[in-house]
Amino acid sequence: MSETEFERRLSAAIRDEMPPLHAPEELRQRVRAAISNAATPTRWERWGGGPYSSTTRWLALAASLALVAVGGTVGYQLAERRAGEAALADQVLASHVRSLMPGHLTDVVSSDQHTVKPWFNGKLDYSPPVSDFTTQGFPLLGGRLDYVGGRPVGALVYGRRQHVINVLLWPAIAGAEGPSVRTRQGYHLLHWTAGDYTWWVASDLGLSELQEFAGLLRADQTRSSR
Amino acid sequence: MTRRAALLFPGIIRRVSGSHFQGAELESSELERFEAIVLPHLDAAYTLARYLTGNTQDAQDIVQDASLRALKYFRGFRGTEPRDGRAWLLTIVRNTVRTWRQRRHPQSADTAFDEEQHSERIADDDAAVNLDRKETRARLGEALAQLPDEFREVIVLRDIQELSYQEISEVTGVPEGTVMSRLHRARQRLRRMLVRGGKTGERVI
Repeated sequence: MSETEFERRLSAAIRDEMPPLHAPEELRQRVRAAISNAATPTRWERWGGGPYSSTTRWLALAASLALVAVGGTVGYQLAERRAGEAALADQVLASHVRSLMPGHLTDVVSSDQHTVKPWFNGKLDYSPPVSDFTTQGFPLLGGRLDYVGGRPVGALVYGRRQHVINVLLWPAIAGAEGPSVRTRQGYHLLHWTAGDYTWWVASDLGLSELQEFAGLLRADQTRSSR
Repeated sequence: MTRRAALLFPGIIRRVSGSHFQGAELESSELERFEAIVLPHLDAAYTLARYLTGNTQDAQDIVQDASLRALKYFRGFRGTEPRDGRAWLLTIVRNTVRTWRQRRHPQSADTAFDEEQHSERIADDDAAVNLDRKETRARLGEALAQLPDEFREVIVLRDIQELSYQEISEVTGVPEGTVMSRLHRARQRLRRMLVRGGKTGERVI
């Protein structure tokens, strides 16, 4: 047997006898928990320096959500409660599902942002930024009033082919967060806080397209806030 | 499109243009990126740690430690795809194993690895090993465990984890040429150990 042939067969034998391993579930959970713990303000500041305080809540939440993905239970509930977002996510989802029921989608039907925006006057204590993304393939369908998180909020409705995208936004209490992604009952929920608003985007649209749409919203906000 | 993607994943724009978004957004998406790019490779990390240490509990401790190190240094990592994270995480695991070893056996740190010294020539006559024999295969793991660390790691990375020479070079920090020669020597050594451990005079097929 030639040396090369021997090496090849030795490789094969090693692979047969010593296959790649799977990380034990216990280890996965330990790693997730460790990362979650590490993502506390003090640790992050010590590591990297810099202003993370506004993101730490998100970091903790994201890490905890990751824990959930693996099989988390308690950490998930605690972190969600801490972040106070689970209830909001439920309400946003409920708002989205309700809007899909016949006749519930829009209170003002218009693809004209200059019709939709003023329509909210007198109905909300803020004037939500409204943009049309028809040229990018996400036409504005209209607007709606809803009640989420204990306050009246504006919902903007966009379309993408046969899919409906609900955008709920209201004035933010604290700085920048996210974006974070949740998937519930087949719907994706994107959430972030930027500029003056807290944003929730809900749709059954594919996640990548929905993120593209969220990117448009965020870009638009970044531009208009300059 | 780049701009759109960049707004969702600020890590990308920093990589492309070096510009900075508000730190807050950057950080939160960094963690997202970490989960997408690094965490999928826990199996690979565990495999390496387990075969390098020969112990499941140590391997778990090392992977946990390495994951935290990875998170700590992630800001400097430029990968954007999940596949980018594997060699990077394995590098950290490998270094964590070395640190762990040095703590346990401080004296071994003094003996620098010498390619030649650890690679005695073997006569071809003695090298006959029947890899189809059950007994030979049963000894493989033991033989691997007895290899010097530098040999064992290239075998694990190449034969078990199927990394490219370039990736192994990245992980071990030695040039590709050295990776290849080290791999060759490692296999020679295994062969010799298998011969020595088996019946003398056993012939191949």
